[in-house]
Amino acid sequence: MTMAFRLLRRAGIFLLTAWVASIVVFALLAILPGNVAQTMLGVQATPQAVAALEQQLGLDRPVPIRYLDWLSGMLHGDLGTSYVTGQPIAPEVFDHLQVSLILVIAAMIVAICVALPVGVYAAYRQRRWDGTLVSALSQLAVAVPGFLAGLLLVILFSVTLGWLPASGWSAPIEGIGPFLSHLLLPALSLGLIQGAILSRYVRSAVLEITREDFMRTARSKGMRPLRALVRHGLRNAMIPVLTVTGIELAALFVGAIVIETVFVVPGIGSLLIRSVQNRDLIEVQGIVMVIVVIVLVINLVVDLLYAVIDPRLRSSR
Amino acid sequence: MTTASQMTDLEDPREPTPRPRTRRPRLVAVAALLAVLSLLAACSAGAGNSGGTGNNTGGSGQQTLTVGLGAAPANLDFTQTAGAAIPQALMYNVYEGLVKLDEHADVKPLLATSWKISDGGTKYDFTLRSGVKFSNGDPFNADVVKFSLDRVPDWKANTPTYLSAIRSVSVVSPTEVMINLKQPDNNLLFWLAGPLGAMFSPNAVDDLATTAIGTGPYLLDRYNRGESLILKRNDNYWGTEAQLATATLRYYNDANAPVNALRSGDLDVVYQTQAADQVKQFQADDQYNVQIGATTGITVMSMNNARPPFNDRRVRLAIIYGVDRDAINTTATNGYGKVLGGPVAPTDPWYVDLSKKYPYDPQKAKQLLAEAGKSKLTVDFTVPSLPYAQTIAQVVKSDLAKIGVTANLQTQEFPAVWLDKTFTQHDYDLTVINHVEARNVFNYADPSYYWSYRNKAVQKQLTDAVAAPSQQAFVAGMKTAVNGIVDDAAADWLYNAPNIVIAKKSVAGVNADDTGVSLDLTKASNPK
Repeated sequence: MTMAFRLLRRAGIFLLTAWVASIVVFALLAILPGNVAQTMLGVQATPQAVAALEQQLGLDRPVPIRYLDWLSGMLHGDLGTSYVTGQPIAPEVFDHLQVSLILVIAAMIVAICVALPVGVYAAYRQRRWDGTLVSALSQLAVAVPGFLAGLLLVILFSVTLGWLPASGWSAPIEGIGPFLSHLLLPALSLGLIQGAILSRYVRSAVLEITREDFMRTARSKGMRPLRALVRHGLRNAMIPVLTVTGIELAALFVGAIVIETVFVVPGIGSLLIRSVQNRDLIEVQGIVMVIVVIVLVINLVVDLLYAVIDPRLRSSR
Repeated sequence: MTTASQMTDLEDPREPTPRPRTRRPRLVAVAALLAVLSLLAACSAGAGNSGGTGNNTGGSGQQTLTVGLGAAPANLDFTQTAGAAIPQALMYNVYEGLVKLDEHADVKPLLATSWKISDGGTKYDFTLRSGVKFSNGDPFNADVVKFSLDRVPDWKANTPTYLSAIRSVSVVSPTEVMINLKQPDNNLLFWLAGPLGAMFSPNAVDDLATTAIGTGPYLLDRYNRGESLILKRNDNYWGTEAQLATATLRYYNDANAPVNALRSGDLDVVYQTQAADQVKQFQADDQYNVQIGATTGITVMSMNNARPPFNDRRVRLAIIYGVDRDAINTTATNGYGKVLGGPVAPTDPWYVDLSKKYPYDPQKAKQLLAEAGKSKLTVDFTVPSLPYAQTIAQVVKSDLAKIGVTANLQTQEFPAVWLDKTFTQHDYDLTVINHVEARNVFNYADPSYYWSYRNKAVQKQLTDAVAAPSQQAFVAGMKTAVNGIVDDAAADWLYNAPNIVIAKKSVAGVNADDTGVSLDLTKASNPK
């Protein structure tokens, strides 16, 4: 299989998955209980007012028509108009997406900074007490839910020490100090745990690679173990780690929904929760689709990156 | 899996003490650690001005206040969108009406300086304040009053029917306006003091969802939807200038987040805090003031009066006797709420303490059920997914079990599912919700309302009270009607939710009694 064909095939799978996802997302939300108009108008609305609003929102049209309408809008970059604000959804989703991207990237940096040293150390010192301890601690951290880590960090750094704000967000253009101070705790709560998860993979990948023949060859040529690992092993060990990092990056987006709520960060997760609460289904659809596409793009990129990292994959498979 | 023999590749016991070359990965790790630490240091350096409101210099005229609140407004248009959050932020602060409610829920002049009510109670003659301008420069006058009130029937939210007694609004002069009623309505001034009475500039009603042009002491600076709403002082305000240059309202879904934000200095006030369990800690801390006020909220356990078993008064009464309201108030509000026994909030003029009318008495409850032939009873209890409702449901379930009633708890997502199934379709036996809308008691005159309460005599009493010739007659008539509703055991009125306000010591002028209209920041100050 040539590289070009591989690329085409992957792109085809990407488009097909995105299309199926759009049907699933739309159908699920269409059968969800609860009436948008009633929710918007609240406990004091008359049935007439509810019916009128339904008609105004176009909710009385058949489901397939509404789907096609929505799909064609999305293909033009138009996610529709919010039921609640009457404003176009796309700009708001884009604004919140930027915040989430910053958060997720910062968390990923934290995760990698934690995972690489911890994972390599745990593998390198596997049979010593400290290596076992590091390994056990990372195992423990994997079990900690993100929101709990967030609350613990808030109690320590905000409430007790008063160093960092407990919640909120400050855009980078409003100053780098406030920006970083608002970013740090959410990024740490997301990143530390993700780092612990990732370090498990780094550890086993490093252990795996030391069994390979080329490592033995390097060692037999008189290279010291750690040097052999750094010179020859790590690059190879990074292939499975990269796969996992890609999957974890997608998981981070999902984890960010919870963390954004805990820290009141105006990201796509907060937006999603709020749209669900307001029964702004058209906005929910838009946000979910954007998240689906992001996850698919991440998978696609990871897939293509294999080929770059591992030359064997360029011509085979 | 790795084995011991493979491990020797890595762990060479002959490895001497590390040489400089093998140290490199460690150096990298140390460098990374240093980088993280320096990032931390940089962050703590920037944490001082992290309030997000900026220009916090504290000098006179530059005071700022940041308030933590619960649910955020869906948008800014309370003529089309339900929910207390929008008027809470905008009424009295940005939008003003002819009259307003003071902290005791008494009606006071605002854009009207005075008014005369005709003998029959069908004509209200208002004298308007002159020289008032909207923040876009448009003048406020009698034409504006007519324009604003004429639009009310088209509102979708905030129950425009409350003003349906208005037949017409006539402009007498630029500073005098006459409201003509179809029949007398003693609630008129009360509703005019709420969102329905808000005055809008005719040139500024096209985009109410995102803008707010009013005559009030503050201007809407910015609304970051779902996150924060920023008010700035209106320097051209006709009345006493606001002491705050900026007021930021921040919205939180979580009960603990705003309390943490207050402790870490991000907030100055937490209004309507849900973290009642932390009140004692704040009371013990002399950096803070804790106020516990009343609300218009009535937490009511509704019984579907239209269908069995609750179409039988004895069964409804048994439920009321069989549920310990004191215990519920203690569990749900940490005892800061006020136990009720009727559909009236303590801020209403016809409030009478009815909490002792049907005291907790499981024996009596069992006896009533036996009389009704329902000694063993199973009911569906649809519970909205709200923390207080979930808590109440657990207490109720165990109380009811003691009198032989099995309650099947079904959690319904709030608002969407609960509003649809329970509220709109009336598909429930038992449910519980905090009705925050003021004077909700008038819904007992509407048999199509979700509690399906039907009593012609009570309907007439309520209608007559509203049209009574004097305020005293109005209050007396309301007391009669409320007694009728309570005699019928139409529902179990549990408690009046408290309004817990925790503020830094420096904050003044934030009133804890919530009349259900607005978080009135007109008199708020925060000299640092």
